Amino acid sequence: MMMNLMKPAALALAGIAFSGAALADPYDAYRGQTVVANFPAHPHYDAVMKVLPQFTEETGIKVEVDQLQYLKMREKQTLELTKRRGEYDLIGYVVFSKADYVFADQLENLAKYFMNPKLADPTYDADDLIDGYVQNIGVAGGTKGYLPGKTGSLFGLPFGSETSVLAYRKDIFEKHGIDVPENYDQLLDAACKVPEVEDGMGGMASRAASGHQASHAFLLHLAPLGGRVFDDQWNPIINNEAGVAAANALKTIVDCGPEGSQTFGPSEAAASFMQGDSAMFMDSIAFAANFENPEKSKVAGKVGYALHPEGVRRGSQTGGFGIAIPKNAENKEAAFLLMQWLTSKKGDLAVAMQGGNPSRFSTYENADLNEKYPYSATFGEALKYADPDWRPIIPVWGKINADIGTTMSKVLTEDLDPQEALDGVAERAEAIMDDAGYYTWR
Amino acid sequence: MGTANRLTPWLFLAPAVVVLGIALLYPIGYMIYASFLSWSPSERIGDAEWIGWRNYTNLWTDEAFRESFLVTLKFAAAVVTIEMVLGVGLALLLDRKLRGMTVLRTIFILPMMIAPIVVGLMWRYMYHPTVGVFNRTLKSLGFDGAPWLSDGTWAFWSVVIADVWQWTPFIFILALAAMQSLPRSALEAAEIDGATEWQKIWYIKIPLMMPVLIVTLLLRLIDAFKVLEVILVLTNGGPGLSTEIVALRIFRTAQEFQELGEAAAMSNVLLLMLMALTILMVGYNWLQERRAMRLRVVAETGK
Amino acid sequence: MTDTRRANPAFYALLVALIVMSLGPILLMLATSFKMNVDVYDSGVSAFFFTPTIANYEEVLCDVLWYEPASVDYCDPTFGRALGNSLIIALISTALTLTIGCMAAYALVRFRFMGRGVVSTTTLLMRMVPPAVLLVPIFGIWTFQFGLDRTFSGIILVYTAMNLPFVIWILQSFIVQVPVQLEEAARMDGANPFQTFFLVVLPLIKPGLAAAAIFTFRIAWNEFLLANALLGRNTRTVPVTIVNSITEYDINWGVIMATGMLLAIPPILFTLVASKQIITGMTAGAVKG
Repeated sequence: MMMNLMKPAALALAGIAFSGAALADPYDAYRGQTVVANFPAHPHYDAVMKVLPQFTEETGIKVEVDQLQYLKMREKQTLELTKRRGEYDLIGYVVFSKADYVFADQLENLAKYFMNPKLADPTYDADDLIDGYVQNIGVAGGTKGYLPGKTGSLFGLPFGSETSVLAYRKDIFEKHGIDVPENYDQLLDAACKVPEVEDGMGGMASRAASGHQASHAFLLHLAPLGGRVFDDQWNPIINNEAGVAAANALKTIVDCGPEGSQTFGPSEAAASFMQGDSAMFMDSIAFAANFENPEKSKVAGKVGYALHPEGVRRGSQTGGFGIAIPKNAENKEAAFLLMQWLTSKKGDLAVAMQGGNPSRFSTYENADLNEKYPYSATFGEALKYADPDWRPIIPVWGKINADIGTTMSKVLTEDLDPQEALDGVAERAEAIMDDAGYYTWR
Repeated sequence: MGTANRLTPWLFLAPAVVVLGIALLYPIGYMIYASFLSWSPSERIGDAEWIGWRNYTNLWTDEAFRESFLVTLKFAAAVVTIEMVLGVGLALLLDRKLRGMTVLRTIFILPMMIAPIVVGLMWRYMYHPTVGVFNRTLKSLGFDGAPWLSDGTWAFWSVVIADVWQWTPFIFILALAAMQSLPRSALEAAEIDGATEWQKIWYIKIPLMMPVLIVTLLLRLIDAFKVLEVILVLTNGGPGLSTEIVALRIFRTAQEFQELGEAAAMSNVLLLMLMALTILMVGYNWLQERRAMRLRVVAETGK
Repeated sequence: MTDTRRANPAFYALLVALIVMSLGPILLMLATSFKMNVDVYDSGVSAFFFTPTIANYEEVLCDVLWYEPASVDYCDPTFGRALGNSLIIALISTALTLTIGCMAAYALVRFRFMGRGVVSTTTLLMRMVPPAVLLVPIFGIWTFQFGLDRTFSGIILVYTAMNLPFVIWILQSFIVQVPVQLEEAARMDGANPFQTFFLVVLPLIKPGLAAAAIFTFRIAWNEFLLANALLGRNTRTVPVTIVNSITEYDINWGVIMATGMLLAIPPILFTLVASKQIITGMTAGAVKG
């Protein structure tokens, strides 16, 4: 009797095991293929590098990675994507590249992959992905072309996405009785108080180098202070009161910042903070893992994290990277499998545990992660205020961005009047927009 | 002369002509064509829109380009003046029998041989606001650090210094060689007449070296317009546009802004400028040779 | 030259100052390449006296080392590969440039023929074409017409063309000095023009060839702009790798200086070995015009 009962069960088990070998390995067809990925040299992707061997072991798909400094990576990609056969199967892209690539029809629409039953993992749980990131980084074609909306569709997945938080020195703030800034007035006061009371220390380390960095730093303050680059009809409004306030805020921060601030890129700014030369650092969450690494940082354990202070509204940046499959890729399906694996619950957590930035709500709620990186909770909170429209992601943005950057640099180093500077930017931006056809429907 | 003979020089020349034709002349022609297009790397050149002279008229009104044009002129003028004065001055000072001169010359040409990228990195490290040697030394002496790369004017001169470091030896070596091949008779005659050291320099050495010095100056000037990598690494054109020379502007326009047509138009402007300088140099040389020949003829017939 | 009087101390002070100025930055780079990053940032540690480490070199060269360095937790193979690529590209393009260049120079010096003036002037004018000007067209043509992007042959062709005008120009001044009688004697003995050139003329202009080789190698070895636009992941050269590795998140000066040092070593070696040829080449170039 027992035997009789056991038999079918055993058979069934054997059957499952058998069919498992045949069916439950969706990777089988791609075993031995090599996915060539182009990733930025960035802490999140450094963490990815440590997780990739696990993917290869599980799936048999090999991964080769070409890691480049992110602006160099963007330059390389813009050239590479134009070719008939590209070198890369999977690319990590800077958020503002989304518009360029999608507009030039260089990225695969992901719908056909998520529709393909052989490729799409039913347990993927896309609802768990952080909405703001998906919309900002992955979706194109909605409102204004770059924001989410009914006409949008998915071209990439957020991976290594970032928002901004304020990192500050708990010990310094305590020593001098400085409160953690909650709004911009407090922030600017604190930034200029530090160098007065702490000899040789700068208030806040900020990016400011001419070009993209200065533009980024300016935009970081523009959104919370209530400004935008364009209004809804694409008229430049960067030179309104909010714009001038943002420029002045940046100038105050740089003037009260550590020595040489005017040339800082994010790495120099972060180094200044890690060396204990500045008391605050307000930039991407991606840097936090390095701050807490005692081998690299002198301030490990002394850093507190707070939300990006409020101006007239809360609005931290949305930035970082997404991953997508180029149209001219060779192994697109294998690339999709890697992409799906990396952004799955398991992959996202594995990367986060190595110091990467989660793209999923569930990862932020994970107990192990919060234990290992106590700041995760603050970061999760910061995400709620992440502003997907803090900068326009349109194809001509590169040029406008560079112009804002060089002009801001002049404000910071040559005492150009902010109003005059921004008026100039607005005028030139209008010409560029007109040239690109944004006023065709007037 | 048979056909074989007439063909011989061309057989020797053929590989060079082919390579130069394919990889230099053709690209330049292509670029001239591209400068009339509105062309981004995401489209084939055949699909790009023909916009006539618009890239050029845009350049004319483009403040940023005008500024970088001025920066280039300023940079070339500063660099060449300083290097000529220093290089020729050092050559005059060191023009004497000296044991170890070979070693010294070897040391001096080292900077020229190092990759511009590396030169940029080296100086960026030295100019670093906190870890750089300059600011560290200043601070250990009790001064404030200087804004080497973080202030427009400072950054411009910092970039000039890096170039002077790398290329003054070039002028020095050439000037020294020219000086040592001066006819000794003239100097000895001056000495017999009781000329002072200064008089020898002003009335004999410099005038006799003039032809070589002018060629050297033009060579350096041409090269100064080509400088790119050192500045790319050091400042990337900043702060503001204070160090953005035209070559860098071309690079950024092509790779960062992806306006290939506009970059091609800029390239043409730069090329025309350099062409003019080269023609000046070749012309000057030709005149010199003619004069030398005439002198020789005079000398011979006079005999 | 005629100085026999004793040079004063100020003169020697000037010499020392000059030597320090030329070598200082290079030595500083060398010293920093042996420095831990923490020491670079620590203002208490002197620029030249510290506990040296070879960890920076181990990190850069981890791929080509025969052992697995303990200091490296993740080995990035790009630099080791780039070093090999740079060598291949620089050596082949130098060899090609010299071969093609000396033949052309010989033709321009020794033969009078139709079109000589045009060829000669064009070559001279092309000497001044800067790499930045070639960026757009070379990228477009090589990628979309020739399909030579990402290949060694593509970049070698570019470097050969870029260096040819200079090499032709400089070698002319050496060939002029070869006595014509030698060539005539060879021709009497029944040698054809090519035999005359390769067996008689070439051996006599060795110093010129050496100088030209060093200058060509230097440019091919150091070039960044076109290599950056043309080369792919597997064919990248060292200058491109260096610029790519200056990341935004973690500037490791020790490692950067180690890569810079590795890039600088071949040209420095050449200079030490062949400074005489280099100086001859430079002066020949300028005086000839």
